[in-house]
Amino acid sequence: MIEVKDVKKRFGRKEVLKGVSFTAEKGEITCLIGINGVGKTTIMNAIVALTPINSGQILIDGEELHKGSYEKITFIPDAITMLPQMRIIDAMQFMDDFYDCWNEKRAEEILSFFKLDKQERIANLSKGNTAKVNLLLGLAMDVDYILMDEPFSGIDIFSREQIAEVFTSHLIEDRGVIITTHEINDIEHLIDKVVLLNEGYVLKEFSTEEIRENEGKSVIDVMREVYQS
Amino acid sequence: MSVTFNNRDPVYIQVIRHFKEQIATGRLEPGQEISSRRELANKLKINPNTAQRAYKEMEEQGLIFTERNLPSRITRDEHVLNAVREELILEAVDSFVTSIHAINVPLSEVLDLVKEKYENKSED
Repeated sequence: MIEVKDVKKRFGRKEVLKGVSFTAEKGEITCLIGINGVGKTTIMNAIVALTPINSGQILIDGEELHKGSYEKITFIPDAITMLPQMRIIDAMQFMDDFYDCWNEKRAEEILSFFKLDKQERIANLSKGNTAKVNLLLGLAMDVDYILMDEPFSGIDIFSREQIAEVFTSHLIEDRGVIITTHEINDIEHLIDKVVLLNEGYVLKEFSTEEIRENEGKSVIDVMREVYQS
Repeated sequence: MSVTFNNRDPVYIQVIRHFKEQIATGRLEPGQEISSRRELANKLKINPNTAQRAYKEMEEQGLIFTERNLPSRITRDEHVLNAVREELILEAVDSFVTSIHAINVPLSEVLDLVKEKYENKSED
């Protein structure tokens, strides 16, 4: 389980996270939702210690992040971090050289799942395919937790569908997933849990099936209530 | 297989409903093997935990059964199968009655119309 406990973060004078708490279970897909600029990416960065926090605590399976944690958790940013002149195969080699938990077999499987040609240069890829390569590089790691920042943003509908398919496949298996998004439409049925954020606070944290069962509401119904009140 | 889910009912209940329809219409036969939880999640584009939940409920309701590590199958229990059929028929009739009742039509007129439409449908 990933536990985010009362995390506060300031950039200069601006307090971006004002005491954020939530949990994300292994074997579940947790979705951080918020209109742009509410600190979603900052939270993701904080979980993998890419940005230091001012106060609070983040625990991964009960432990604070340490060197070994990087074999346990991976962060897929919203844009690819590989150099444009690299071919897909070079990016895969790079990952293999740097991470013990890189799983070559799974990487090949994802390549064919996404129908990508590994000789292709990153600079020449479409937006959708760039997003897929970016996902591939994260998903092919043998880790327990995967964080994805806006995996669906700015890509065509068919790529979105293909990426959504990943969530129902064995590629995710029993791993814990946290994704951020500002658009919930096509993924309502794919996620277990929602954390609604607003300007540095968690407004509401709920299970999607429970809210449907107990209150007869869709995720968007709850968002309307919470954000427009 | 493609199912349109609504966003306000629990997905696992909608999945069970989908199976009941398939059973009642004979598209799923007694004793027939069904997809694994993972395959179902993939086909219906739903969360694997939800597929798991639906299967668990269906097992508790006796709609499906699993022997050891084999794939799950549709029940062969006549009582359960008949109950599914009856449940769906009753539900459909109830919703029809509710909407027709609101319009205030005499029953005899409705029944004649139902008969006529039903016979036309069978000829299609």
